[in-house]
Amino acid sequence: METNPQQFQDKARELQARMVPQLEEAAQNLSDLNTRAINFIRANPGTCLLGAVAVGFLVGKLASRR
Amino acid sequence: MSNYESMSGNGHAEAQGPRVGERVDQLGSSAQQFFTDARGAVHDLGAGLDLKGRVQRNPYGMVAAALGVGYVLGGGLFTPLTARMLRVGVRLAMLPFVKDELMGMAEAAVQGFASASGQGSSSGSESSAV
Repeated sequence: METNPQQFQDKARELQARMVPQLEEAAQNLSDLNTRAINFIRANPGTCLLGAVAVGFLVGKLASRR
Repeated sequence: MSNYESMSGNGHAEAQGPRVGERVDQLGSSAQQFFTDARGAVHDLGAGLDLKGRVQRNPYGMVAAALGVGYVLGGGLFTPLTARMLRVGVRLAMLPFVKDELMGMAEAAVQGFASASGQGSSSGSESSAV
């Protein structure tokens, strides 16, 4: 079970080749989600602001109860 | 009792009926005026603060500000959670400065070690030459 540095390097390269596309896909998905969220907030500013105030109010109530 | 007596009278009851109706009409028009004024005030406030423009320019910031306003309105300002969040925020804000300091110290240590080893090797070669 000896693993020479060359084998270790090959395994690392293989792992990198497998992981990089997945990471790129995840980054692309996150970027799309961010764009959609920004577009939604820009399209419905009143709803988003009122919802945020309501959520903040609830969190403040919960925090003050403890 | 006096109302009942006045309502029970023949002439008074007829005179009181239209008065109540007028009163209801007046209340209705007052309520309508109030709603119109309130709507106008909200519209003026929105136009003055330029909420839509601010949301267009900085959507996440405005949502965060609205969350903060709600949090304060909910009475969460003077709570342990606020203190904890402030502590975490201060630590996160100090992180870059601490990182720079640590990097400077590490570089100085590496340079000192390198110079010491260089001197040691040169003195070792001198001593070997002697």
